Amino acid sequence: MYWTGLSPDEARQFLANKDKSKRDKRISLKEAVQKYVKDGDNLGIAGFVNARQPIAIVHEIIRQGRKDLTLSYQSAGLAPEYLAGAMCLDDSKNSIKRMELAYMAHEAFGISPLLRYMTENSLIELEDWSNYNMSARFKAGSMGLPFIPCRSPMGSDMLKANRAVVQDCPFTNRPIMLLPASHPNVALVHVQEADIYGNCRIQGPLFTCPEIAMAAAHTIVTCDRLIESDDMTRYPNRISIPFFAVDAVIEVPYGAYPGNSGGLYYYDEKHIPEFRGACEKFRKGDRAPLQEYYDKYIFGAENTTEFINKIPLSQIQYVEKIEPGIRLDAAYTVLGS
Amino acid sequence: MAKYSEDFTPQEMIVVAGSRTLIDNKVVFAGTGLPMVAITLAQLTHGPGIVPVFEAGAVGPELSRGLPLSVGGSRTTYKANYLLGLNSAFELTQRGFCDFGFIGGAEIDPYGNLNSTMMGSFPEGYQKPKTRLPGSGGASDMACSCERTIIIMVHEPRRFNEKIDYITSPGYLDGSPNARWRAGMAGHGPYRVITTKAIMGFDDETKRMKLIATLPGETIKSVQEATGFELIIPDDVYAFEPPTVEEVRLIREVIDPKGYFVRKKIKE
Repeated sequence: MYWTGLSPDEARQFLANKDKSKRDKRISLKEAVQKYVKDGDNLGIAGFVNARQPIAIVHEIIRQGRKDLTLSYQSAGLAPEYLAGAMCLDDSKNSIKRMELAYMAHEAFGISPLLRYMTENSLIELEDWSNYNMSARFKAGSMGLPFIPCRSPMGSDMLKANRAVVQDCPFTNRPIMLLPASHPNVALVHVQEADIYGNCRIQGPLFTCPEIAMAAAHTIVTCDRLIESDDMTRYPNRISIPFFAVDAVIEVPYGAYPGNSGGLYYYDEKHIPEFRGACEKFRKGDRAPLQEYYDKYIFGAENTTEFINKIPLSQIQYVEKIEPGIRLDAAYTVLGS
Repeated sequence: MAKYSEDFTPQEMIVVAGSRTLIDNKVVFAGTGLPMVAITLAQLTHGPGIVPVFEAGAVGPELSRGLPLSVGGSRTTYKANYLLGLNSAFELTQRGFCDFGFIGGAEIDPYGNLNSTMMGSFPEGYQKPKTRLPGSGGASDMACSCERTIIIMVHEPRRFNEKIDYITSPGYLDGSPNARWRAGMAGHGPYRVITTKAIMGFDDETKRMKLIATLPGETIKSVQEATGFELIIPDDVYAFEPPTVEEVRLIREVIDPKGYFVRKKIKE
């Protein structure tokens, strides 16, 4: 048995030694990535496919360059695709060593071109799990348990190439699957609202964001907006991630763009295909469009504000207009088209 | 006006077939793509009481704010009755709250085992597949733990194989008696396979795939020819009712006007 990221005992010890005080955790995204994301780290990627993916954090990682990363997530699209693209363009600066995953693609927008490219050329190591498995592994980590039992996917070939153990349940005597906890070195999380201490209020589906944040050694949170802490603590049971599970909080409006941030902006049905199309061209041997994309939108931008400045305002207004997710704090749902 | 449509596409046919297979008032755990379209159509026709569940967390939403582009997108959450996250959604399947799992796949075998992970040799070639597919997502969890599974996929010989390269989502495994129970699964396995050519089920004894109905324009022979293994052909195979004008209108004008899932070209 081996652990990627921290072992359960290491994770427990790490947290025991950590400063858990309620303090102002605002720093710049640049500093947060410099401070917490190291070469060789296991990064827990929050969100789900292209919803609330930590795009701003990933772009900053790419600008700074990190190597030999392990990425852990249930289903993701844009975040690993951006890191993969950076690796494909210059693997001396950015590289993924391994992914522990259930799904990498873009649903309605299509398959992941660079997952195909990386695996079919044997550039990375994979460990396949199901969505529930990866979610339950983070949950085990967040619960302080070394493993968690699970009833799926028993009978799948996934079990032949991952660290799951099947054994008879001591109570029912039927086979049950045991999953090792996942404790990433750093959780990368984007939420709609946070306060300066790191309390997070998620709108819409939670995905596995609370579990990843609680399981990881460090958590970087970007939020579409910072709010008054009094407004946050007025509804304590609406706090999805508590402050002491968070190390850095950065206000980054549109930090999940071009993906969906519930209640704020919908998927950009123009920009996602633009990026995915450049990845597909790379897979087929034409490198230029991907290089141009990165030069323009990532390396050619200091930060997310400069990235968003390159998108026509009408396009941003449109993804805001069509977003139907509820905003519980504001007690309204955006009027439908 | 004619009752039946005369210019429907194979994708529209499959959506209609999927929709009509769904039973009103059942809880249906929906995979991405065609299952979402079929559930929406069923809700607008014979199944207003269908309760969709999406793995990213939404339970029982109204799918009236546009076709979701993702099972985690905001459109799956509109007027949802319960909304947490992935763990809570999959816990519902294990507990037994989900009558049907509705999933797709790239490749299937006679026992309803599905591959959505990789083409190539496994386990030797796992780290260097011939073609890498997106991976399980939640499909394998639905296939194991929903009470029954409905599978929806394009019907072509290369997707129907006696032996598949990799079992992502288990069906009846090797078809031996109680194979699923012995493997530790909670749910009872595949109920229907809906394709662009036919509706299929599984033989009670052998657990091998059997033909139930042929879709318009298809015959028992044409379905068998498009299937890479031998189907069981019972005496009571029937011709499936074509899509109605209203069903096709709903798909084109109401459910997927941009053609995200339905207008995709099928390679024949």
